[in-house]
Amino acid sequence: MASGRWWTLCLQTWRTLPKSVPCLTSLDQLLDSGLYTGEVTELMGAPGTGKTQVCLGIAASVSLGLKQHVLFLDSTGGFTASRLCQMLQAQTEDEEEQLEALQRIQVVRVFNIYELLSALQELRDRLSQQVVSSMGPLKMVLLDSVSAVISPLLGGRQSEGLALMMQLSKELKTLAREFSLAVVVTNQVTRDSSTGLLKPALGRSWSFVPSTRVLLESKEASWDKASTRRAASLAKSPRQPTGIQVELDIGNGDVLEPSLVTPTQGL
Amino acid sequence: MPVECLISALLPSLLLQCGQTFVRVEGKLFAVSARNPVAPSMALMRQVPLEILLQNSEVNTGLIKTQLLARLEGRSSLKNLEPYLFAEEGSPVHGDVVEFHGPEGTGKTEMLYHLIARCIIPKAEGGLEVEVMFVDTDYHFDMLRLVTILENRLAQGTEEMIKQCLGRLFLVSCSSSTQLLLTLYSLENLFCAHPSLCVLLLDSLSAFYWIDRSNGGESLTLQEMNLKKCANILEKLVTQHHLVLFATTQTLMQKSANPAESFLPLKLPHETETDYRPYLCKSWQQMVTHRIFFSKQSNSGNSKGFTVVSCHLKRHQTVKRSFSVAECGVQF
Repeated sequence: MASGRWWTLCLQTWRTLPKSVPCLTSLDQLLDSGLYTGEVTELMGAPGTGKTQVCLGIAASVSLGLKQHVLFLDSTGGFTASRLCQMLQAQTEDEEEQLEALQRIQVVRVFNIYELLSALQELRDRLSQQVVSSMGPLKMVLLDSVSAVISPLLGGRQSEGLALMMQLSKELKTLAREFSLAVVVTNQVTRDSSTGLLKPALGRSWSFVPSTRVLLESKEASWDKASTRRAASLAKSPRQPTGIQVELDIGNGDVLEPSLVTPTQGL
Repeated sequence: MPVECLISALLPSLLLQCGQTFVRVEGKLFAVSARNPVAPSMALMRQVPLEILLQNSEVNTGLIKTQLLARLEGRSSLKNLEPYLFAEEGSPVHGDVVEFHGPEGTGKTEMLYHLIARCIIPKAEGGLEVEVMFVDTDYHFDMLRLVTILENRLAQGTEEMIKQCLGRLFLVSCSSSTQLLLTLYSLENLFCAHPSLCVLLLDSLSAFYWIDRSNGGESLTLQEMNLKKCANILEKLVTQHHLVLFATTQTLMQKSANPAESFLPLKLPHETETDYRPYLCKSWQQMVTHRIFFSKQSNSGNSKGFTVVSCHLKRHQTVKRSFSVAECGVQF
């Protein structure tokens, strides 16, 4: 940092405040007007609670509604283009628009940590050089899921796995901050042995990384009727009280259904 | 220590700067001539005790005046910074090192916002009107949140007013322990140029712990080297420039359930109460004067959501308080 810039830095930062990226109406209510650029948001939930569906919904909404570019890093193989098409078709009839929206979403398949780190490095190079290509102004990076990539590294007595995890988190956070991106990662949940509450997987060190955390749960207790209704609750946030819950409907390509906000815990 | 010894110890360096010549006769120093009294560097000025400055009348009197004012201002007490946080009255004093320790989501960064707001708000509105340096290694600093807190606390939250307050905040981000070390070295000049900069906030000190451990290989010394150097430079900055340092550390490890396993005998009462397992280097642990443990209350019946257990390490005093977080920040 140039020494002359020290005291003007804070005023400059104030002019470039993090902006919120509104994506899904009901999720926006949860997140205080949308996903924020410059920080990492975590979506956690048990298998089958719709994390990939919500990510696809976010990608479709940002690409179609806001006309911004999206990078989707897929580590589980759960990304299906046909589902994405279905979601776009539900939002707009115009085929031209749908095509443009699809072109703005870039999908990279990464199946281990090294591929993921090199994909992020490539992204950083591209953004630093400001290459004007089919990859235009990038606004969002979705990583589905981080636990699939990191879990094989953890365990055992060596700290190398943890170091790789922290390196990944550092890379995500610096990308978010330096290039004003909104970064969304999905994670599994485990149950806390002492309190019995759900907590994010990947351990203590990872839990410090995201600034905002949303828990997705299935609404219906019974499994005989397949339901598309999910409950999203705010588990950690730097600007909202925790415990707010909203309902999402992840079926029929329409993840935009607004529903009521029920605060379960006050301040 | 007699005045003459002090002069002889300190003035040789001042000599080069001031362009003065001194002659030692029978153990006493006499000024011979004063030609081109060049102002000594600010860093040197701060180190020289006031009595010496005043006696050495050849030095630029304008500088003495600003130094006097700055030192008086700088020592203007931080005692009202946040009395609820500390176990005893009159804390913090200049030279204190306070560690905020706790698991995630317990309000450490929020408490730092509260301290920043208390510092940068002008005296007319109830703040301390001092400058603050924030070193961010976690990338959790959110300017929007700080501005919201300021808007809620100022009587008239106009843009002009907020800009004025933010002019007292210095912000730096670091993404590796080497970068942190280099940043801390380069802060020396900043502290010299801003005498009213007396609070240093660091969020967090343990951000690079695992990466450093992995880079250090098998040797513990290599693993801890960067952090040890950071701790040393922090100590030097705190003592030389009369700062108060607040640093956050994360609870990365679980306390071992069996007390017989831990290497240190659990003498202090706070260690049995809280989930604290020291893992950072010895130089840091020896520097800390106050350790404050943050935790979250899981029962929703209580209106205050968070607790702090504040320990004064030298005097072995412990105090427990609770706070909640609202739109305007931390409230005790």
